[in-house]
Parts: sequence; C-alpha cells; structure tokens
Amino acid sequence: MGEVVGFVVVWIILSLLAEWGLSAVKAHTLYDVIASQGFLAERAFNFLATWLTPVFVFVVVYLIYVLIRFHAPNGKPERSRSQFIRNKGFVAFWVGFSFFVNILFWLHPTSADLEQMFASDMPSRNHGDLIVDVTARQWEWIFSYPQYKVTQAVNHLGEDELELPVGRKVEFVMRSYDPFHTYDVYAGVIHDFWIPAFGTKEDVIPGITRYEYIRPTVLASYKTNPMVRVQCAEVCGPGHPWMEAPVSIVTPSHFSKWIKHQQTLEAHAGG
Amino acid sequence: MAQNIVTEATPYRTRPTMPPVLRGFLWAAIGFLVLNMATIAVDPFRGHPFITEISAVIGWVGGVIGWLLGVGGWEGVVLPLFGVPNPWVAAPGWRKYLELSTEHKVIGIQYLISSTGTFGIAGLLAMGIRYELMQPSLHFFTYPDQYLTAVGVHGTLMMFAVGTVALVGGLGNYMVPLMIGAKGTVFPRLSGIGHWLVPAGVLTVIFSPLFGYWTTGWRGYEPLASQDPSGIIYYYLGVAALTLSSTCVAVNLAATIVFHRSNGVTWARLPLFVWGILTVSLLNLIWLPEIQMTFVLGLLDRLVPFNFFDAIGSPLNYLSLFWLFGHPEVYIVVVPALALWNEIIPVMAQKSLFGRSWAVIGLIFVMMLSGLVWAHHMFTNMRNSEMFPFSFFTEMISIPTGFSFLAAIGTLWKSRYRLFTPGLLVIMSMFNFLVGGLTGVFLADPPVNLEVHNTFFVVAHFHYTIIGGMVFTWVAAMYYWIPKLSGRMYNEFWGKLLAIVIFIGFNGAFSQMFLLGLHGMNRWVPAYPPYLKPMNYEVSLFAFLLGAGFIGHGIHLWWTWVKGPVTPDNPWNGRTLEWLTTSPPPPENFNGEVLVTGSFYRYDIDKPAAVLHPPE
Ligand code: HEM
Ligand SMILES: [Cu+2]
Ligand SMILES: [Cu+2]
Repeated sequence: MGEVVGFVVVWIILSLLAEWGLSAVKAHTLYDVIASQGFLAERAFNFLATWLTPVFVFVVVYLIYVLIRFHAPNGKPERSRSQFIRNKGFVAFWVGFSFFVNILFWLHPTSADLEQMFASDMPSRNHGDLIVDVTARQWEWIFSYPQYKVTQAVNHLGEDELELPVGRKVEFVMRSYDPFHTYDVYAGVIHDFWIPAFGTKEDVIPGITRYEYIRPTVLASYKTNPMVRVQCAEVCGPGHPWMEAPVSIVTPSHFSKWIKHQQTLEAHAGG
Repeated sequence: MAQNIVTEATPYRTRPTMPPVLRGFLWAAIGFLVLNMATIAVDPFRGHPFITEISAVIGWVGGVIGWLLGVGGWEGVVLPLFGVPNPWVAAPGWRKYLELSTEHKVIGIQYLISSTGTFGIAGLLAMGIRYELMQPSLHFFTYPDQYLTAVGVHGTLMMFAVGTVALVGGLGNYMVPLMIGAKGTVFPRLSGIGHWLVPAGVLTVIFSPLFGYWTTGWRGYEPLASQDPSGIIYYYLGVAALTLSSTCVAVNLAATIVFHRSNGVTWARLPLFVWGILTVSLLNLIWLPEIQMTFVLGLLDRLVPFNFFDAIGSPLNYLSLFWLFGHPEVYIVVVPALALWNEIIPVMAQKSLFGRSWAVIGLIFVMMLSGLVWAHHMFTNMRNSEMFPFSFFTEMISIPTGFSFLAAIGTLWKSRYRLFTPGLLVIMSMFNFLVGGLTGVFLADPPVNLEVHNTFFVVAHFHYTIIGGMVFTWVAAMYYWIPKLSGRMYNEFWGKLLAIVIFIGFNGAFSQMFLLGLHGMNRWVPAYPPYLKPMNYEVSLFAFLLGAGFIGHGIHLWWTWVKGPVTPDNPWNGRTLEWLTTSPPPPENFNGEVLVTGSFYRYDIDKPAAVLHPPE
C-alpha cells in the first residue's frame, strides 16, 4: 500500500506541475488563430490537452518509476515476491476512467462544438454574408466576389489574392474545376482550402459545390504572419506546394476601397 | 498400386540447374515478354509501341508467374499438384533462404530478410525526403513530382512490405507454430510461395518511377491518380502482389492456430502473440481483398477508361473505399506489437501477467471496432451528420487499445524487471505509442482535426504509432528472439546504446513535427514558406541520427546471427513453448510430443507450463 501512496503522490505533484507548464504554453497559444472557427478548435485543443496531461504524466511517471524502483539490480532471473494477476480496484479504476473520459470528450468538446459549428452554417444565420466564390484549379486559387461583380481579385503583381473585411461573416462557395479547360474531365482533382490561421480546412472536390462559413475577427496580413495564407492542403500534383495565395483581413473602409480598385482593374482589363 | 511403380520408375530431377532466384528473374523476363507480346498482338495500339499500359499490366502478370515458378514454384507447387512425387529437396545452408521453402521457420526468416531490406530502401528514401526538407526550396530532388514519388514509394513500401509484414509474415510465421507446439503449418506450400510475392511487389513499386513519376502518395487518391503518368499502374500492381502475400500468410496462420494446436493449448491458454496474429489475420482476410478490389477498380478506371472516381463519377467513393481498408490497416500494423509487449514483459519481469483476459479482449475489440472508424480520415470532406458517429467510434477505440497498457502496467508493478535490451525497448515503445495514441484523441475531435488534418501533425502522429509502436517493438522482439533464431546472444552494451540512439533520434525528429504541423506546415511539399526552415532543419538532423541508429541495429543483429556467443536454449527463463525446444529449433520444431498442463504466464508456479515427451 505504501508503494501505491508514494506513486500517487508523485503522480499528482507532477501532474500539477505539468498543468502549470501547459498553461504557460497556452498563454502563447500553440497556433495563431484569427477567426471564429479557429477559436473553437483552439479551445477544444486546450480542453483535451488539460484532461490528457494527467493521463500522459501517469504513464510516463509509471515507466520511469519502473526503471528506478522495479528493475532487477543484476540480470539474474529473480521472481517478484508479489505475484498477483488481478486487482479489481485498479481494473475498475482504469476501465471506468477510460470510459468516463472518452464519453466526456465525445460530449464535450466534440458534440457541443459540432452543434455550434453546424448552427453557424444554417441558412437562417447567414443573411447578408460576404460571398466569395473560390475556384481551385491546378494550380491556382481564384477568388471572385459576385456581390461586387469582381471575377478575379489580384494584387499589383497580378497574383490572386484574398482580402476580407474584419468582423463580417464570409460564405466561401468552393468548386474544383479548371475554368480554362472545362472540356477535360480529368482536369479536376481534389484540393483543400486551408487558411492555417482560420483554424479549419475543407476539401474542394470535383463535381461537388461546398460551403464554408467563417468570421475573421482580427486584423491580419500575410505580410506580417505567414499563417494568414491560403494553402492547398491535399496533394494535387507537382504544383501542390505552390498552390497558395496571400490573405489580408482589413478594416471595412479599407475593404471598400480595395473592392473599388478591383472593379476599376477589371473594367480596364482586356480593354 | 500403379503409383508405387511409377515412383520408382521415373526418378524426377527436382533441383533446378541454376540458382532459383536467378532462374526466377529469367522466367519472369520470359513471362513478361510472352504475355506482353500476346497482348500487343491482340490489341495493337496506334503508333505500335512495344509496351502499352495494357500490355504492361498483362505482361506483369506473366512476369510474376514466371518469377514464382522460377524460384521453386514449378517443382515445389505445380508438379506436386499433378501428382509428381518427391517434389522438392531443400538446399543446404544459407541457400535455403534463396528459394521456395515449405518450412515455416525458413519462410519466417525469408519474410524478415525481405522486410528488413525493404525497410532499408524505404528508409533511405525517408532520408532523401528529410534532406530535401532541410531547405525551403527544391534543392535535392530535380522535380516536385520526383519528390512526391519518393514519398509515395516510401509510404507504400513501409506500409505493405514492412508494417504489415515484419511481425506477421516474419515473426508470426516463425514463432506461431512453435508457440502452439505445432510441427508445421497447415498450408506450407501456399505459405512458401506467398513469400516470393514480396520481392516481386517491392521491385514493382521501386521501379514504378521508370514508367513516370506518380504523385498521389501511398493512398493513390482519385481523380489525381487517373491524371498521373503510367508509373501509378505499377503502384497498383506492386500493392496487389504485396497484399496477396499477406493474404496467404493470414490464411495459413489462422488455419494453423485453429487446427494445429498441440495437446493442452486451449483457447484459454493461447499465448498473447498468437492472439495478436489471429486477430490480425482475420483483419487481413476481411480487408485485404477489399483494397485489392478497390485497386482493380482504380486500374480499370484508368485503362478502359471508366469514370468511377472523377468529377463525372464520385471521387469520394474512392476515398471511402481506400480508408475502409486503410484504417484497419493501421491496426494490422500495431496489434501484433501490442500483443508482443505483454509477451515480453512477464518474461523480463519474471512475474505473472496481469489481467490476461483484458489484454486479449482489448485485441479482439480493437479488431472489431477498427472497421467502424474509417471516415475519421475524411472529416474535411464528409457530410456534417456523419461526423458524430465517426468521432464517437474513433474516441471509443482508445478504450480497448488502453487494455494493453492496463495489462503491461499491472504486470510491471512491484516486479523485478530485467532491463535487458528487449525490456528497455518495450518500455520505450510504450512511451512512444502513448504519444501517438494521445495525439490521436486530438485528431478524433473534428474541429481540431479540421485544423491539423494533412499537416505534419498527422505525419508525426502516425509515425509515433508505427515507428514508435510497431518498429520499436519489432526491434525489441528481434533482440528477444535472436537467441531462439540463431542460438547466439547479442551484445548487451551495443543493444542498449543503439536503443537509446534510436529513442533520441526518433523523439527528436517526430516530436517537433507536431509543432511544424501546428505552425502551418502541410504534407506532400518539397518546398514550403521559409519561416518553417529552422525547425525542419533540426528535424532532419535527428532523422539522420535515427537512420544511423537503425543501421546500427541491423549490423549488430547480423553480427549476432553469425558470430555472437553461443547461448543456452532458454536464456530468459521464459515459459512459452518456443523456449521448450532447442535454439535454433530442429526442422520438426520439437523432438517429441508437447503436452501443455499449465499457464504460460504464471511465474508463481514452479512447475513448467509444458513437458516434452521424447519420441519412443
Ligand atoms: C525511418 C525513419 C522515417 C522517417 C524519417 C520518415 C519520414 C517521413 C516523412 C517526412 C513523411 C512525410 C512526407 C510528406 O508528407 O511530405 C513520411 C511519410 C510517410 N511515412 Fe515515413 N518516415 C520514416 C519511417 C516510416 C515507417 C517505418 C513507416 C511505416 C511502417 C512510414 C510510413 C509512412 C507513410 C505511410 C507515409 C505517408 C506517405 C504518403 O503521404 O503517401 N514511415 N515519412
Ligand atoms: Cu494541392
Ligand atoms: Cu484511421
């Protein structure tokens, strides 16, 4: 019994220390997020980390304990004096705890967050969203703003870029096909629309139109934070690593200026 | 009556005149050419090339048949089928490893050699991948699709010729009959010929880039695969050969476990590793045919072509079909390793196995649940409503997986654990698999998954389970059983030192990959934004240390096999049946009849678990 108490004490102390260390790390956030969905994911991540830390510490402390306390000093085969093959208390604790933790995790964060996520996708919640049509082709992201009649937003170098006003909900309408080679059925492959700082990603699949709803809440730009970029996250052939585009989250007034600029650019294009 | 006369009248020459492997290559070339030309004759293609995609497929079938017949299938399998007597005389010495064999111990070692060789090749590719990733832009590979092919060949070989094979075809073939007191397996010829599909499959995958770099990685995702150059065909075919080999192993070992247990090896006494192999064999029998059919569909989609999996059909169907197999596959890899922990720990600890029935139930439930979780690889492309069941089952599967920890931890408590190399490696493997398993809980939560899916977080997670769990345990089991395999003992100093080296190299490299993923590093990229370089650089240095450590283990085990000091038959004082016989065991495994009267895992009992009655 003394052995058990000793171990449990060490476990509790080290778990507390580990929790303290984890909260120190959490303060710096493991990843940068700037959008609603990202905060959801980050909270879930932290919740799971908090609960799993004592589990991790339990096994690690145990293994180290074995190395120190329970190893045979010389390699001679020597039987342990205690030879139990069952212990109801320990088994009940282990099995009970693992059921408890896993069901807990499925209820919270999983189910709770999913409900929240699905709710934000509902049509009733999405009046007046900023609509951005996202077209994925090998190997380019094309962004159009149908509400503003902008068919392809580009920066001063002519590269595709995505700019969004802070605080406004966005509806991404995503399709994978090649607008320049619509006759080729093999030209469409699976891509994945990922903005690391948004904390979510979604596959873009040939033949299916998919939607993503998200609200960016922090001013940010690729120029200062490389996680604020669109990055294809599903292998789509040799151009895959370079299938990226810069993103900026700007103030609403800056956004209207930018949209006007895009409209003028398009008015003069091809003219 | 006539039969006897025939036997004596026609002494059939059964040894081939040239080394079987050489003859295998020759017959493979002939087989390929014959069927290739036959196809071209029936189905000429515009421009009249000598090899088309279709003839390459049919020619390949001829090549594999030629190879299998050449290495001994002709004398060992085909002639006996037609009633020709006295089929095959095994070559003496090391040559028996280079031809068809029907002895499970030889076959086991053949599988181990093939797996180890493949591990070296695929590991070298990993080093190439890590060398490339030391810089943010292409500097080592010439083209991005060359890099992607390296990743694909690495993953394909590691999964289908190492992960699925080493512990099952290799140690399973060698040890399972010994551990159940059997003198052989139920289908020795099937098993013997099955091994030779491994080199065929491995060579097919390795040389696939000659037909064009394919870019899909080991999952062969559609519709990208339809777009890829012809090399992808040899990915499908190589995997077909490799999975067929594992199917042969599964049929043979499952039947052997059910029908060839010696007296007293009841189900309640069946050793844990044997339970592991039985559950894995059932998984293989269910899911390998499934992936084979999927790849046939992929192949037809391309050759005919159909539109099963492109924008006109449904790309998602391919994804589901792949992961239906793909998830059980990860348990095929890891279940034997989990079973081995609880095989090795009681022996090293000289202490009775704790909660044996929990350990067995864990393996069985993992087997059953593993078919219900496949779509957790598809959270980024499924319907919302599907997220609930798939996250539920995924979270639940960690419960039976945990039972292996439960048994191990209970056994270690208050033991006198002998920290020999196998013991140390098992402890390390438990740590690594713990990290892999706990990060899996994060991945099971869809909102978190949607962020880290397809990033290096996932690469780290599955390498923790596969290298950390399965490969570390494989190395542990090699040290544990090398005295059995060779009658010789390894060097404790080198064993431990190298164990520490791979532990540091592995954790140094892969723990940082979690952070890379969280910081926005995605998979399948030979180039990445420069802010990720410093950490990638470090990861690669640790990866090279890991690679060097594995080579060290390989050399050390090889040295043990040829030169290590001779050891007694039962150096660890183990109670399972393989320790009842000599090291290495005689061709018939036991000189006499095995009778089991007690438990293999009770160290509180002095009486041995079994006795060997010498032949009368
Ligand atoms: C020996 C040390 C190893 C190193 C340094 C290593 C490294 C890597 C890296 C960096 C990748 C990701 C490439 C990318 O997505 O861009 C990768 C992929 C992969 N590795 Fe390993 N690996 C090693 C051993 C293994 C082993 C032992 C297995 C399994 C038995 C394995 C299975 C895989 C698989 C299945 C993939 C995915 C391939 C794909 O995406 O198609 N690796 N490896
Ligand atoms: Cu891509
Ligand atoms: Cu899975």
